[in-house]
Amino acid sequence: MCLSTVYKNRMAPETVAMKNVMKIDCKDGVVILTDLMDRTVAIEGQLESANLVEGYVIVKEAV
Amino acid sequence: MHIDHEHVAGGPEHEHPHVHEHTHEHTHDGVPHTHPHTHEHTHPHEHPHEHDHVHPHEHPHDHGCAGSCEGCASQCSHTPMEELTALMKYMAGHNAAHARELAELANQLEKIGNHTAYEQVMAAVSDFEKGNLRLTAVLSSLDVK
Repeated sequence: MCLSTVYKNRMAPETVAMKNVMKIDCKDGVVILTDLMDRTVAIEGQLESANLVEGYVIVKEAV
Repeated sequence: MHIDHEHVAGGPEHEHPHVHEHTHEHTHDGVPHTHPHTHEHTHPHEHPHEHDHVHPHEHPHDHGCAGSCEGCASQCSHTPMEELTALMKYMAGHNAAHARELAELANQLEKIGNHTAYEQVMAAVSDFEKGNLRLTAVLSSLDVK
């Protein structure tokens, strides 16, 4: 329901992949993020965790 | 940006004439002896050298803004004002949805007989809506400009 900030691998300011994320799709080993302005970022990897109360998501990048 | 690097011109091997001085044994009047002499010949060889020019190439990069236009030198198609307006519109709609959810929660409190709690939550819903009205007014003024 709320917008989230998505991080790569761990939660830190330097690992922010995208802010104000409104949609997350996972397909064929790729996590596709879409923000409020309809911009997209694709990350090879998988969803590790999503905290919908705190509004953050962690994506584990594929090695 | 590019990195100067070494390579070998014309492939790994090429040749050009040059002079060697060397000696070999031979005889004069049946007497073997040696003396230095020179002759010109060629043989293939290779040598490295450097050059300094620019190759077109691509490399991945990001703008380091993580999708946020704060501090961005207009790399994005949306202006910071458009982003802020979109975010405020989202927040206003989001708050309205939360207000409805709170009203539903209040109704459930009323159903189970806690009228005091119902009234308090409904008062909170009212405050919520007042705040949202203020946000909507700001949004309208932003849309006009």
